[in-house]
Amino acid sequence: MILPTPEQKEQWEEEGYLVFENAIQGEDLKRLQSAFDYWADACKEDWLDRVEAGDAAATFYDIPSPFEKDSIFIDIVDYSSYYGALMEFTDHDLIILAPQVRTVAPWPVSYTGWHPDVPQSNPLHIKVQIYVNDVAPGCGEFAFVPRSHKPGAGPYTRPLRQESMPGHKTFSGKAGTAIMFNSYGWHVSMDNASDVPRKSIILIYEKRTPGRIGPEQFASIASNCQTPERRKLFSLGD
Amino acid sequence: MPRIDAHLHVFTKASPEFPRETSDVWPPEREEPVEKLLGEMEKNQIDQAVLVQMAGTSLDEHRYLLQCLKDYPNRFLGIGLIPQGHPNPAEHMAQLTDSTGIIGFRLSTFGGPRDIFAKMDVSEFETYPIWQYAAEHDCVLWLYPQAIEAHLLPYLIRAFPQVRVVLNHLAMTPGKGKFSWDELGRPQIQVTSYNLAMHTTYRLARFENVTVHLSGQYAFSKEGFPYQDLAGWHRNLFNDFGPKRLMWATDFPWILEDPGYDKLTTIIEKLLPNLSEPELADIMGGNAKRFLRFPDL
Repeated sequence: MILPTPEQKEQWEEEGYLVFENAIQGEDLKRLQSAFDYWADACKEDWLDRVEAGDAAATFYDIPSPFEKDSIFIDIVDYSSYYGALMEFTDHDLIILAPQVRTVAPWPVSYTGWHPDVPQSNPLHIKVQIYVNDVAPGCGEFAFVPRSHKPGAGPYTRPLRQESMPGHKTFSGKAGTAIMFNSYGWHVSMDNASDVPRKSIILIYEKRTPGRIGPEQFASIASNCQTPERRKLFSLGD
Repeated sequence: MPRIDAHLHVFTKASPEFPRETSDVWPPEREEPVEKLLGEMEKNQIDQAVLVQMAGTSLDEHRYLLQCLKDYPNRFLGIGLIPQGHPNPAEHMAQLTDSTGIIGFRLSTFGGPRDIFAKMDVSEFETYPIWQYAAEHDCVLWLYPQAIEAHLLPYLIRAFPQVRVVLNHLAMTPGKGKFSWDELGRPQIQVTSYNLAMHTTYRLARFENVTVHLSGQYAFSKEGFPYQDLAGWHRNLFNDFGPKRLMWATDFPWILEDPGYDKLTTIIEKLLPNLSEPELADIMGGNAKRFLRFPDL
């Protein structure tokens, strides 16, 4: 396990985010891209049908139940590049809540506005966004307002234009880049003026609280969770 | 400041004078005439309203709407319909807006690619001539998009920034097969608990020429009046579009029995209780007067 450096720990506490360039690379990245593209293509028509029925948003789609579709989606949950930091920041009591294996369409407007995910009263809630393709500036890159995760920060209001948010920082990056952020903080996907979809995986974690996730949630992938650490991470029990 | 009901329907019995479409909900003998509406408006201190053609897209089927606008030119503005696939929509639009009080047209489809990942060329969209005419002749477009076409809107709005756009009924985009009528004869739209419009139509707040109706709550809510389960939707719309781009409406006559016209005149105060008086006045009529250019009374 690669634990964060003192500088990374300070940045996490003060700024609310960390960037891990080349977090996933080489054969693992190729495997991830291949699985992503295969399943995104396989699931697209069903998503369009659900859009037509009013059951899904038209501007992005997630591969349903990705953990059941390819083990690479499980393997990135405790990937060595950033797993140590996740464990350190949650006092080694981390659970995975959900994956979002997401394709965001190029569109004149970003599919979402600036927002935090949870209030400060929520247990520590962390997301790791992993770029599956290269995400250039102006192509739907992730953005975050440093220090907005701190109690008493703000107040923040949602501007009509993403770029109008005071103090924000954007994160373009190569495929395999992982951006970890505290979900108390304000964040967004920037506009995508290109004709290239943004492909990314958003892993949602939380510091464990009793009963937050039951053992049935990820029971279908229990065979991929043989070690005690992984069973704990996926709330599978002893 | 006037109080304006920004979206409703009136119709009379089907007749040679006033031909119209009929259905189980609006059979030939049913009528919800403008005089009945005026009675409700009078009782509830509502000054003006937008009459929206309910069904029937031909010129003849607009006769009752045109008559109402002619009879009460200071009280009402009108929104017409365009036959789908009309070979010359500009001609149809011109005939209906020629000093008649009809200021725009209602659309629910745009005729572009179903797939947001497809190449988008708005000039290839079937409704491009309608938007072009609206832009050239200052018509309002009154939109209630189908879910599968909601993603087309920013391309059209960006291409025609001078067109005034009104998103109907909380900017919702009904899904295919999710429409029904309830036992009170009211439209019902089945929607997901997570409001998907946040990722499509709400995002259009960036465009200054886009406004939204706060109306149709009865069709989406799983509760009775005042539909508190939709309070969050109203707050989000207020946060995104602001107090100057929201317009209250009742969707008369569907609401006459439940909850009643009078109750709906109080719904904005109930669902947005923290509005200032000027903000409430804007939503209850000031915005409609300015954006739709209602005549002074």
